[in-house]
Amino acid sequence: MQFAYLRRAAAGGAVAALTFVGAGIATATPAYAADSKVSVVHGIPDTPVDVYVNGEKTLENFEPGDVAGPLDLPEGQYDLALTRPGEPIGEAILTADDAEVPGGANISIAAHLDADGEPTITPFVNDTARVDAGKARLIVRHTAAAPAVDVRAGGSPVFEGLTNPNEAKGDVDAGSVSADVVLAGTDTVVIGPADLNLSEGTATIVYAIGSAEAENLAVVAQTIDGLHSAPSGVPSGTGGQADTGLGTWWYALAGAGILLLVAGGARAAVVRSGRR
Amino acid sequence: MTVGNRAALAAVAAGAAALAVATVVAVVSRPAGSVGTEQAAALASPTAASTGPVVAVAPGALPDDAEPVRPVRLRIPAIEVTARVDPVGVDERTQEFDVPPSVDEIGWYRYGPGLAAESGSVVIAGHVDSAEQGKGAFYRLRELAPGDTVTATGDDGTERTYRVVAREEYDKTKIPLERYFARDGRPRLTLITCGGPFDAEARRYRDNIVVTASPV
Repeated sequence: MQFAYLRRAAAGGAVAALTFVGAGIATATPAYAADSKVSVVHGIPDTPVDVYVNGEKTLENFEPGDVAGPLDLPEGQYDLALTRPGEPIGEAILTADDAEVPGGANISIAAHLDADGEPTITPFVNDTARVDAGKARLIVRHTAAAPAVDVRAGGSPVFEGLTNPNEAKGDVDAGSVSADVVLAGTDTVVIGPADLNLSEGTATIVYAIGSAEAENLAVVAQTIDGLHSAPSGVPSGTGGQADTGLGTWWYALAGAGILLLVAGGARAAVVRSGRR
Repeated sequence: MTVGNRAALAAVAAGAAALAVATVVAVVSRPAGSVGTEQAAALASPTAASTGPVVAVAPGALPDDAEPVRPVRLRIPAIEVTARVDPVGVDERTQEFDVPPSVDEIGWYRYGPGLAAESGSVVIAGHVDSAEQGKGAFYRLRELAPGDTVTATGDDGTERTYRVVAREEYDKTKIPLERYFARDGRPRLTLITCGGPFDAEARRYRDNIVVTASPV
């Protein structure tokens, strides 16, 4: 009885402490540590999984080629675990402990094969800086069990010698391009070609996934929008017919008016005093 | 009364008349100014995104090329305007809005929302005038007032009518372009042209006139 009471009191204390910390964060937030946007990308072929975050099942039966999120997560360290669907967390096929989530970032956590074909987890920080008006950002990530590759757009290489688990990126003119992936320095196409529709003001992130050996190379894509910039101005008149300013003639008229008033007044005064 | 005195009084009268004319002109030519600024700002405030506790999961397919409904014709009865609308982007060199060179045509910002968009600002800009071609399609844009209607015809054949809620005049160095080119906030139509005092040497107007209209 006494024990139960103590436990309840302890629980109450914990809640109070949490609230206090919560209030502290809420008031301190504007300066730093905004939540991060976290997406999860599944790039391991033929292996649906359940995803656990800090021991809690967050995604169920997450299919290869799917993208989850974004989730709003506070800054901190997270334990990730992937299990076969329905299996207990103790039998996870892949874990990443103390995965660092910085504050105010946009992150993609990719479960994928490393260059040797072993499952692994790689966090990527997404570049969400604004793009210039008319531009789109293309980010390509090598997350496949395959050697170095080149990415070509319209037949010419745009990113060369990309290796697992790295990314290449660039801001390009918005629009559609035909892209493919070749073994670095060769014309041997391993993925594509496919039409890439790069919308203005967005980042399109393309993951190369799968395994060259198993001949199941493919792509997964993720898009981040809202990165657009406004044009620098709207120049829309060179004639001057709609001028609402006061022209030089106005200043001449006003000036002449003042001169006449002053000179005329002075002259009248002189004439009057002369008569006296 | 001497001749000198009479001349002096005439000069005073002429001076007073000149000043009176100048004052009247200054008052009449004062820009109409801005109306509905608060309403326009309210339309631009971001709509709350509905975020449930469930994590969204979607296939990581390559983005498709969803084409927005582009306006092809714009009609503004209050100022007797019917103009063709061309899709335009930005000038490669200056990053400025690529207003169509022909003053009879107006340009829709093709990177922004189309007519069917459920949020954001559909932007159409046109010349007030040009040195070579004279008055432009948007010459009388500054005369629009809240309540006037604007009808845009889309390339889907549908006419959509908007009602003017605001007309604002901004110095070009101070205009909040981010707000007028926003892709969030309530769906709205934004018409832009030049106005205000004209710098004859630089051949440019100091201000932008911005008209904001809401779907009816």
